[in-house]
This record gives sequence, C-alpha cells and structure tokens, in this order.
Amino acid sequence: MKLLVVEDEALLRHHLYSRLSESGHVVEAVGNAQEALYQAEQYNHDLAVIDLGLPGMSGLDLIRQLRSQGKGFPILILTARGNWQDKVEGLAAGADDYVVKPFQFEELEARLNALLRRSSGFIQSTIEAGPLVLDLNRKQATLDERPLPLTAYEYRILEYLMRHHQQVVAKERLMEQLYADDEERDPNVIEVLVGRLRRKLEGECGFKPIDTVRGLGYLFTERCR
Amino acid sequence: MIRSLRVRLMLAAALLALLFMLGLLPALQKAFSLALQESIEQRLASDVTTLISAARIERGELQMPAQLPDERFNLPYTGLLGYIFDRQGNLVWRSRATAGENINYQPRYDGRGNEFARIRQDNGEAFFVYDVEVKLLGGKSAAFSIVALQPVREYQHTLDGLREKLYLGFGAALVALLVLLWAGLTWGLRSLRRMSLELDEVEAGARDGLSREHPRELLRLTGSLNRLLYSEREQRQRYRDSLDDLAHSLKTPLAVLQGVSESMGQGSEEREQARVLQAQIERMSQQIDYQLQRASLRKSGLVRHQVLLRPLLDSLCSTLGKVYRDKQVTVIVDVPAQARVPMEQGALLEMLGNLLENAYRLCLASVRISWVDDPGQTLLCIEDDGPGVPVGQRERILKRGERLDRQHPGQGIGLAVVKDIIDSYDARLTLDDSPLGGAALRIAFTHD
Repeated sequence: MKLLVVEDEALLRHHLYSRLSESGHVVEAVGNAQEALYQAEQYNHDLAVIDLGLPGMSGLDLIRQLRSQGKGFPILILTARGNWQDKVEGLAAGADDYVVKPFQFEELEARLNALLRRSSGFIQSTIEAGPLVLDLNRKQATLDERPLPLTAYEYRILEYLMRHHQQVVAKERLMEQLYADDEERDPNVIEVLVGRLRRKLEGECGFKPIDTVRGLGYLFTERCR
Repeated sequence: MIRSLRVRLMLAAALLALLFMLGLLPALQKAFSLALQESIEQRLASDVTTLISAARIERGELQMPAQLPDERFNLPYTGLLGYIFDRQGNLVWRSRATAGENINYQPRYDGRGNEFARIRQDNGEAFFVYDVEVKLLGGKSAAFSIVALQPVREYQHTLDGLREKLYLGFGAALVALLVLLWAGLTWGLRSLRRMSLELDEVEAGARDGLSREHPRELLRLTGSLNRLLYSEREQRQRYRDSLDDLAHSLKTPLAVLQGVSESMGQGSEEREQARVLQAQIERMSQQIDYQLQRASLRKSGLVRHQVLLRPLLDSLCSTLGKVYRDKQVTVIVDVPAQARVPMEQGALLEMLGNLLENAYRLCLASVRISWVDDPGQTLLCIEDDGPGVPVGQRERILKRGERLDRQHPGQGIGLAVVKDIIDSYDARLTLDDSPLGGAALRIAFTHD
C-alpha cells in the first residue's frame, strides 16, 4: 500500500519510514504540511499518518485541506498531548483514528491495517476470491488452501488489485504501489510482474482472475469478500 | 450577625432617628410646659390686678363689688377662683366662682410681694396660685393677700394633648423617614445588585468581564476584578499552552526512543535491554500524561462553569463511533437536551472521553449514557454490556495508573485522570454492576 507519513521530528519520521517500508508498504515521509499537500496532489495514497503538532500549518488544518480537496484515503493521526480535545477535533476534521505518542509500532500497524481493510470494504483481515485467500496481516496468499509463494512486489500488486476488485486499475496506480516517487520507474516492470502473477495463479487449477483492459490497465474480475 | 448591608443601614438609621426623637421629645415638652406655665402666670397676674382694682377700703373694712368686671369670677365652675386674706391669714372675701370649692390655702404674708406656685389639695386636685401682697388699696393703707387660683387640670390636659400629638407626629415622621431611606438605599444599592448580576454572568461564562457602567466609587473595584479575571484567563491559557508544548516536546522524543528500542529488540542479544527500556518509556509516558492532564484540568477559582452535556456527548460518540466502527456499537443516550454539568468544558471532555472509550472498548455491542436529576444531586451514568469489574477490584481500579486490561494498550491512566477530575469538582465516582451486564460508572454531582 502507498502511505503518506507527515511527521516533523526527523528521527521519528525515519523510524516510521523504515518500519512501514519493512512491512511492505511504499512510504512517502515528509516533514511539513506543504510537502504533504504536494505529495497528495501528485500521487494516489491509500492512507496517511499525520502528526497533529506540525510546524507552520497544523496537522488539523492539513487534514481539513486534504478532505476539502476530495482526498478520501483514511487518515491516522499521531497526537502527543493525547487529550480528547485533539482526538475529537482531529476526527471531526476528517481523520479516522488516532494513536497517542509514544506508541508501539505494532499498535500503529494494527490500527493502520484496520483502516486499510475498512477503506477497501473488508472488515476481516483476510480477502477471499474463490479459491484464493489473502491474509493481510501475514501478507501471504493461499490457493486451494495451499501456500502460494509470491515475491513482495507480486503480493503488493495482487493485494491492490483484490482491494479494488471489479474496478479497472491503471498501470500508474500499480507503479505507485511499488515505488516511492524519487525512484526510477519502468512501466514494463508491471507487465512482467502481472504476467508472473497470472502464471502462479493459473497454476494447476486454471484460476484466471486478472484481465487486461487495453489502453486502460488491469481488472480483477473475481468477486472478493 | 446581620448579613444584608441594606438591613444594617436601615437598622442603624432607625436607631439613630429613634434616639434623636427620644431626646427631642422631653425637651419639646419641657419648653412647651414652661411657656404654658408662663402664660398661666401672666393671666393669673392680670386676674389678681382685676381684683385689686375692684377692691376698696371703707372704714378700715375691705369692700368688694357684687359683680366683678371679669365674668369668670362671678360664675361658678369657670375654673378661676379669687380669694382675699387679711394679714393674719383669715379669709375676708371669696369670689362667687369659689362656691362649692373648699380650698385649703394659707398665704404667707412675708413681704416678698408676688408669688406664683402650685399647690395640691388633700383630694389630689392641684392648682396654680398667684398670690399678691398689697399694702395700699385705693390710696389707703391696708394689708391683704389677694389670691387667684386656677386648676392644673386644664394645663395638664393641654400638655397631654400636645404629648399625644408629638408622639403621633414623630411616629409618622419615623415611618416616612424609613420608607424614604429604604427607597434611597434601593436606589443606591442597585449598582451593587447590577454588579452582582454581572458577576453571575461572568461565572456562568456568558460574559468575559464586568462592564464600565458602574458608579465612580465602584469603578476601582470592578477594574481590579476585571484585571484579575483577564489575568487568570490568560494565565490558564498560557499554562495550558506551555503544558501542550511540554507534552509535545517530551513525548515526541519518547516516541523516538520507543522506535529505537524496538529496532534494538530485533537482535536477540539486546531483547532483554529493549524490554526494560520500553517498560521505562511506557512508565515515563504515563507519568507525563497523568501529571500534565492533572495540571491542566484544575478547577477554575473564579468562573463557575455550566456546560451543556449533549453536544459534548454527541461529538465524543461520533469520534468513538468512527474509531470503533467495526464493532457496530449501539449507543443509547438518555440525556435531556438542556442537561448541564458544573464542570469546565476541557475537563468534562477529558472525563467523558476516558469513560466512554473504556465503555466502547470493553462493551460487546451496547453502551448506555443516562442522566438522573434528583432533588439533592445529579447522576450521570455510563454503562456497558462488557465483562464488568469484579467487586474485589473496584477500589483498586480507580487508583492511579491502575488497569485491569493489560491486553488493551495505550490508555493506562484513563480512570485515574477521571478520578482526579471528579475529585477536583467535588463530585463522586462509583463503580457498579449494570443491568446491561457490564460495568456502570456513576458520577454524582451534589447540588450547591
């Protein structure tokens, strides 16, 4: 998933960046609201983690502005004060959940995953599509109850397509899932990865859930729940 | 002790007026009685002169005409009596009006001339007496005491009438004075009353400070009060801001430390140290939370708050509904729209936030918030259908930093802060079983 982290304290920002990247997310970590707004305008994020105590434009104003720009991704706020005034204002401004500093990374991750699941309409921590089951917490897939070995990139593409099942997903969106914006991009990589993924899913049972919509992108045809 | 300024002033004024009148009344009576006696003396003197001018000496004997020029001497019961005594004190003539009167009077022919006196008869009746010694009558040598008497009765009657009128007049004056004084005091004290109304509004939070529309004498006081109010408000705000800064500047580094310790803990050798570090970070964080919240949620000394409960409950429920969306909690809010809680908004929000989050976290599916307005107290009750709290642990759970559910991290100091806030507002927190099946937290606000 592509995440936006807005935290002014460099060490904490770095910590969040590295831990979230380790968990298989593509993370953009910025230190102030202006950069965050720029990032949100340029890319499609799946979730934002926003510290309320930002220098300059506050976290609250950033959330309001993001929402007024029609950004619908879930927002998790980090608050140092941990008082209810902040929490109520933050959620009223458009955030979806809060984590009080200092936090254990596991707690942050659990909240974050719950928000991601919820935003794509899945309340359970697994997504099922016919014989294919995706465990969102363990980041593993099983096909016909047998583990399906996937690389991290393949898993990311599969998860994204399944979360947006029965919708056409542009190649650029998938690119954003794989790379941070400052990395080199090669559109052919997506085609190669999707091709490998199709072969693994087809395997022995002939499961073909991914269609190509020419000129537009890919479509996960199977109904997910 | 009399607490009302107006009653004190009224009592003092009434007492003063009463003392003044009590002093004035005898003096007035005395002056009047002296004037009356003087006029009686003058009249009796002129009556005696009438007798003297009517008296003649013929052949050494006193001769009086049968009819005297003053009719009062001639008719009975006129109250004017005339007597003439010789030098030895023998009665030689008496006026007709003396018929039926038996006056026991012995003139003292002692050469001192005129005498005005008051005599009392055996039967209790008193008379004014005017006694004149004459040595010459109509150019002839003679020695008589010529006496005119008048009963004191009339004088006493006039004097009593006067006293009665004085009492009535003074009484009426006192009543009128007190009524006027009451009106004057009401007018004068109205500005104090207005000030107290404005203070009520300040306490209720409807107004920031006192207005400038007060009498000059009070402006000094209202000015000082306003400065005090503003400085308290400003200080609270500054205090709160610095506490916020402090929270931010302490807890962000703690978050960094937490991150570092987690990274450390990934290697197996440092796992034990990382665990110790994390426990200490958790402890520091809880202490910071607890102490900062305690410090910022003190009750204000000047302003008496009355906060509408419903809007706060609604925004908290919408916040928590969002956070616990997956749980689909049913919330029953049984609180009248006009219910007010005597707490500062921030403190109330903190208290309710912590209590409601506990309820949302621990409930299975439903939470109930109810409000009971009893004559002596108001009861706010938050219930859930969760596991509840075992009887033996109820006391302990309210203690500082104590928590029973170790499996839900992050909110360890919630109830301790709630307890502190409730204590600082002289309310009472009790923990009970709910008919819903879980815990029932009741906060009782005693009415003033």
